[in-house]
Amino acid sequence: MRNRCPFFSGMMENYGLDAHCSSILEQYRENMLLFAKLESLVRDFLQQAISEKGVLINALETRIKTEASLVGKLSKKGAKYADVFDLTDIVGARVITFYTDDVDKISGIVDKVFKVDWVNSVDKRNMHDLDSFGYNSLHYICSIPESLFSDPSWPEINNVRFELQMRTALQHVWATLNHDIGYKAGVEIPSVYVRNLNRLAGVLELADEQFSAIRMEINNYRFNVKSLVSSGKFEDVPLNADSYASYLELQPFDRLLRKVAAINQAEIYDVPLSNYLQVFLQFGFRTIADLNSFINRNSESAYRLAVFQIADTDLDIISSSVAPRNLCLVYLLRNGAGVKEIKKFYDTVGGESDHNYELAERLLNTASNIPFLNK
Amino acid sequence: MDLQITTGEGKTFATLKGRLDTTNASQFQQDMAPLMELEHPDIEIDCSDMEYTSSQGLRLFLMLQKAVSLKNGNMVMKNMRPEVKEVFDITGFSNIIKIQ
Repeated sequence: MRNRCPFFSGMMENYGLDAHCSSILEQYRENMLLFAKLESLVRDFLQQAISEKGVLINALETRIKTEASLVGKLSKKGAKYADVFDLTDIVGARVITFYTDDVDKISGIVDKVFKVDWVNSVDKRNMHDLDSFGYNSLHYICSIPESLFSDPSWPEINNVRFELQMRTALQHVWATLNHDIGYKAGVEIPSVYVRNLNRLAGVLELADEQFSAIRMEINNYRFNVKSLVSSGKFEDVPLNADSYASYLELQPFDRLLRKVAAINQAEIYDVPLSNYLQVFLQFGFRTIADLNSFINRNSESAYRLAVFQIADTDLDIISSSVAPRNLCLVYLLRNGAGVKEIKKFYDTVGGESDHNYELAERLLNTASNIPFLNK
Repeated sequence: MDLQITTGEGKTFATLKGRLDTTNASQFQQDMAPLMELEHPDIEIDCSDMEYTSSQGLRLFLMLQKAVSLKNGNMVMKNMRPEVKEVFDITGFSNIIKIQ
């Protein structure tokens, strides 16, 4: 017996329960510490497992059934329970996902982590008639297997069952509102309102499906872009954040970078090149083919600019951004860019600064002495 | 290379003076140790009197920037002379270190 509460002892008659239900209520109070321990374990194991699998969820909730809720249940159907451990929802957990297909992922995780009582578990998602909508949720009755947790201080904990609900955020909203409106009022709801609630359930079910479908389409798009880029079909791929990231995996600036580094036997310090996408879009490139062609056409000049700038210095460390930097600068210079355009380039890749005017001016002065840029 | 460090209003102010090259990089590394050890770095480096930096200097600034970033801090180099800023630019370091 744990955590017997003297305050409640002797007050059971006030609930008007019969002797059998009163004894279940007494067991509930006596085992409160056991339920609290179980709740804590369920929360921790679930959190860890979901995090390890990398599933993004909306919420993980756990609770112990309140005494008032238990009394309400016992007063309605107490006779069907032999003891408090026959009630499978004294400890409850709920995982709320963003997407419908993530409910299945969570159920798979739960199946691996806990021992699922399949006889008493219910998939309410598939229980509706063809012409009805309503509460969709996956309910598992589980216990903690000894392989997961075993402690002589809690010898009974592996036999105590708990309820685990899995649903989407939209299902959760509907279920919560439906419960609030439909049950708590304590009065019969006119059928027109029940119908309206169910119509709303239908809309939310459609929205859930759409969210999952959109996510799948985006994933498919990213996969296709990656495939097209890696197979070299650049002309079919629009230039955007996804395709640029895939293109960077091919290390398109690498050859130029190594050539530049070889000028002074320089060490290369790798930096992200994502900030150059904005510049390439400003240049008007529409596809990966445009970008690829820009690299091929300007690499030699970009290398010669690097030779001009660093060959007579002792600089033996460069960042990987030197390659796209030089490509962009020779492109701008060849296309007649002035201080304003070159400053805009510096502002875009390195942050806006008045000093970029001076840099742009110095570059233009330098360029006027570089014959291959003035052809 | 002379390095002066002062603090005020929750910030650390550093002032650089002279040339930073192979002859004094090791001393500069020792001098900048207090900046590396700041718990919540918010560093402003005044470079108006910095005349030159070699690769060793770039490496030390990179080391300091990494230490600051690891602590989610902030570091900015200010008032850099155009010829010094050009060194940061042609090596791509202006994409790594915040220069104002």
